[in-house]
Amino acid sequence: MPVNSPMSSRQHQFEALVRGHSTDLYRYAYWLCGQDALAQDLVQDTFLRAWRALDKLREVGAVKAWLITILRREHARLFERKAMPSDDIDDFDLPDPQATPEHRTEESALRAAIGRLEAKYREPLVLQVIGGFSCAEIADQLGLGEAAVMTQLFRARQKLKGQLGFEDQSAGVSEL
Amino acid sequence: MNCLEFRRRLGSEPASTLDSFIAHRAECFGCAAAHSRADEFEARLRRAVSVAVPVNLADRILLAQTTELRQGLRKRRRGFSTLILAAAASIVVAVLALQRPSQQMPALAAMVDAHLHKHVVTASEAQSEVARQDVIDTFAQRGVSLAAVPDGVNFVHKCPAGPYKTVHMVMPQEGIPVSVVYVVDAPPQSRVEFSRDGTYGREVPMGKGTLVMLAASSNGFDSIENAWKSAMDAGVAQNREVKTLFAAKSLPGAASWDWRTRVAAP
Ligand SMILES: [Zn+2]
Ligand SMILES: [Zn+2]
Repeated sequence: MPVNSPMSSRQHQFEALVRGHSTDLYRYAYWLCGQDALAQDLVQDTFLRAWRALDKLREVGAVKAWLITILRREHARLFERKAMPSDDIDDFDLPDPQATPEHRTEESALRAAIGRLEAKYREPLVLQVIGGFSCAEIADQLGLGEAAVMTQLFRARQKLKGQLGFEDQSAGVSEL
Repeated sequence: MNCLEFRRRLGSEPASTLDSFIAHRAECFGCAAAHSRADEFEARLRRAVSVAVPVNLADRILLAQTTELRQGLRKRRRGFSTLILAAAASIVVAVLALQRPSQQMPALAAMVDAHLHKHVVTASEAQSEVARQDVIDTFAQRGVSLAAVPDGVNFVHKCPAGPYKTVHMVMPQEGIPVSVVYVVDAPPQSRVEFSRDGTYGREVPMGKGTLVMLAASSNGFDSIENAWKSAMDAGVAQNREVKTLFAAKSLPGAASWDWRTRVAAP
């Protein structure tokens, strides 16, 4: 078995890609589909596609967005005949938070609330929080206008704060 | 940027690096205070979104990639979940898996398998046969009407498998529990039999869904499959005499099956 054979630079590039991005990609996939095993499948499929298309990748700065695009396509392919059961929150398989005990309750409540968000709110929010993308980049990813994305992100936060009874610092916006 | 614009941006993009956003925060006390409250919420949000990532995820992806390289698989099958199953990235087991790509679990079965690992039905839960009406009711809640119920369903529950809805059952066969999961709403799968690392499985298209069986032995699969096929057929052919229909079929091990019509069910 060629375990010790020298790695090609292409292989090195791929390995760096996987080590650098699998965590974010898994989390994104997880919030997209709500299932651990499926999220892992999606991430693996994404990287295998990325491997085959590695030559198409040019700009270093665009790597994450490129991977996310592949993952979204994989997800869509898998679900083209099947809408996600966003109403079926029992099916959203929420892991236990690893936070310290005092944070744990709040964190699970927040997780559950994120799981309950409609996909149109959850997806841009997760792209922003995990991916660190700007509104413009998210708009690009989702094929939406920037204003629409801003509205969805705004509402996503309002809904979460509303569900958890957090003080909503945006409540005064309309009066300003 | 005025206060209104600032608050809108704050609610949608709190980490904004727009010059006008930063400038307004520096000169407006109220908005600066709102910004620090938003920061707190963002920190909570980041923690909540950062779900635990499976151990060795990157290693397992790299393993899958080198597998693909080595074998030049044209049609790769979705088998990640099965690798996880095999062992926590134990190289020995993984290498074995590489050498037997045909034994990977199909996607739907892998989702069912993942569910079975989370939802472990204990021996005491599956000790004795459940009431037929419970089986009929559970299927009905999933939108499937059964006219008959095979003998020997010792556990029944509505469960998910990946994004799909299922009826999760346990049907012991010759002392070996067989997990029998009817997936209601997945796209049609082709019939496939597989085994890996001591787990045997079969996926059978049935009615509008798919029946997935997983067990430590495949011995009971034929009779379970035939039994459910008949039960489904009977469900479709509602006006036919169910008992006659069953009598016309020769089931392997038919003697061990006790059929009752929906009407006759307790
Ligand atoms: Zn202001
Ligand atoms: Zn179950």
